[in-house]
Amino acid sequence: MTVTAGIGYALLALGPSLSLFVSVISKKPFLILTVLSSTLLWLISLIILSAVWRAFLPLKSTTWWPYALLIITSVGFQEGLRVFFWKVYKRLEDMLDAYADRVSKPRLFLTDKMQIALAGGLGHGVAHAVFFCLSLLTPAFGPATFFVDKCSQIPFFLVSAFIALAFVTIHTFSMVIAFNGYAEGNKVDQYFVPVVHFVAGMLTLVNFASGGCVIGIPLLYVMAFLSLIHCGKMVWRRLTEHQIRQGNSL
Amino acid sequence: MESSILESVGTEIIGVMSPVSLCMLLVVLLVYSLSSSNPLSDPPIRTAANLVYIENPQDSTSQKLEGALLNALVFVVLIAIVTFLLVILYYYNFTNFLKNYMRFSAFFVLGTMGGSIFLSIVQHYSIPVDSITCFVLLFNFTVVGVLSVFSGGIPIVLRQGYMVCLGIIVAAWFTKLPEWTTWALLVALAVYDLVAVLAPGGPLKLLVELASSRDEELPALVYEARPAVSNSERNRRSGVGHLVGGVSDSGSVELQAVSRDNVDRRENRGNPEYTVVNADSFGSVEHEANDDAVEMLPLVGHLREGYGSSSGSSSEYSTVVVNRENEIVMEEEMSPLVDLMGLGEPTGRDALEDGVAASRGIKLGLGDFVFYSVLVGRAAMYDLMTVYACYLAIISGLGCTLILLSVCRQALPALPISITLGILFYFLTRLLMEPFVVGAATNLIMF
Repeated sequence: MTVTAGIGYALLALGPSLSLFVSVISKKPFLILTVLSSTLLWLISLIILSAVWRAFLPLKSTTWWPYALLIITSVGFQEGLRVFFWKVYKRLEDMLDAYADRVSKPRLFLTDKMQIALAGGLGHGVAHAVFFCLSLLTPAFGPATFFVDKCSQIPFFLVSAFIALAFVTIHTFSMVIAFNGYAEGNKVDQYFVPVVHFVAGMLTLVNFASGGCVIGIPLLYVMAFLSLIHCGKMVWRRLTEHQIRQGNSL
Repeated sequence: MESSILESVGTEIIGVMSPVSLCMLLVVLLVYSLSSSNPLSDPPIRTAANLVYIENPQDSTSQKLEGALLNALVFVVLIAIVTFLLVILYYYNFTNFLKNYMRFSAFFVLGTMGGSIFLSIVQHYSIPVDSITCFVLLFNFTVVGVLSVFSGGIPIVLRQGYMVCLGIIVAAWFTKLPEWTTWALLVALAVYDLVAVLAPGGPLKLLVELASSRDEELPALVYEARPAVSNSERNRRSGVGHLVGGVSDSGSVELQAVSRDNVDRRENRGNPEYTVVNADSFGSVEHEANDDAVEMLPLVGHLREGYGSSSGSSSEYSTVVVNRENEIVMEEEMSPLVDLMGLGEPTGRDALEDGVAASRGIKLGLGDFVFYSVLVGRAAMYDLMTVYACYLAIISGLGCTLILLSVCRQALPALPISITLGILFYFLTRLLMEPFVVGAATNLIMF
């Protein structure tokens, strides 16, 4: 246990992101930079939020509504940030295209754009997992573990790793969905993302009930799979459409 | 299907960031594994960095602040003196002396400081090694290190590896400084770096200019991000104490390059080799120089393309005209603990030889490695959260510096932006974010 357990928790939360990083991101330096800058953006958003909420802390852990308020403001702020990220990305895409023209290379492919979105989402997700799960994990490397009263069946670290994994998935793929939604002007996708994020945040409130985590976490995973499936379907649709269009143009 | 530009843009930046990240990661691991074993058991060591005042946890805040500021001031003055000494030595062409001094410094750092870290690792993990084996291993490690750092014909990977090692070792020693002194020192160094590199008459600026006017590489410890081109046998670098990074931008490889303003600029530099005419270095610099940093990335990334993998045979560029400018980022570092002071020397020479450009990578002084790692290592003594925040801040500061480099094309100090952001994020995280995140996460509230 101890070190083994700590590494296990960390991999549980970040393992999928790690493999995604190694297999897709790490080969393309630009995507690594995208991950880093999106992580930084998320960190800044967290710092701003905590500066705003600092005056009200610590919240009493018996009442749930201040936390609901906290989630509403946070999700709202972060979704606003996503729009900002999109605007920045848009300018960047133009620059990259201009640059590609200059060096006589092809412009960004559809898959490139999706990979950039994926990298941006991964940055958000990793930042979430790092700050909400990994940074609290230090005691887990020691000889003891820790239980929260309201979820006494599972060690706290394990629960937070589970939750972090769900959020990493949601953040990563909802960025792809959102970017495609903005690019196509598809209203459904544009609203799908904030709603999923918001619902997922609200579902963590279930953990306030004693033993609530047994119900809350599976529900959270339903949201994660929902965004995963939606993203998969959307990417598939766009890729096939793209191929058909290319086939026609040839 | 042609490879998309995503694969080439930003390669340079990643080439610099990955060793820096590696160095920070290892320092954090070292700090974690070693500090947990004997918290505070080390008596404070007296080094060049705390000559004046030895911090004592019982002292009052104002005493600590005053003492820390004095320490930092003395240290910076020492470094400035040593750097000026270097400039003078270099000016009078004592290059061999400098190189040998740097070799000695590297030997000393790897052997004694590295050795003592190695010993404490052996003790902490109870690794069964007998003293003879240990000595032989250490001696071999050190000798190979000195050779790889200062002579040619050694694989670039090995040299880069040893550069990172040196950075780790020196940084690990710096983390033993008391907390207040560390912060004061970091701030003072960032300011000193800014002045030394940018102010007219600053020692590092003088060194860079001297080196580029002589068209040679200064002896200084510099991490080269890309495989070194086999230029004429130059003194590679030396200087334990310093780091300088010269960044050269290799020009773009465009056949019809429009000669840009930088052509003139080069000519001003008086390098004879500019027979090559059009080079369009960084074609994109002009393009929206005012954009924000992210947008500049392509520019920097552009550098990469100019060079073939390693020893750039000159013939590759024969048809293509490449421009390049060297820029030097300087940083200095000093390994104060020991009496080595930093000698920062930038290596900025233009690598145009016979009309062929051998392009060179971005260079980062070892000092940057060291002080970035010191900051992260200090953050690691508080909490993991501050480590991540500081890491991100430093890396983004480094990114900003690199982007500025591609815009300004002159030696830039790499410490100020990163250290400022790092310290800012450390205190923001510690004071604001931690109670927020811990409060939310222990109630299992996440978003």
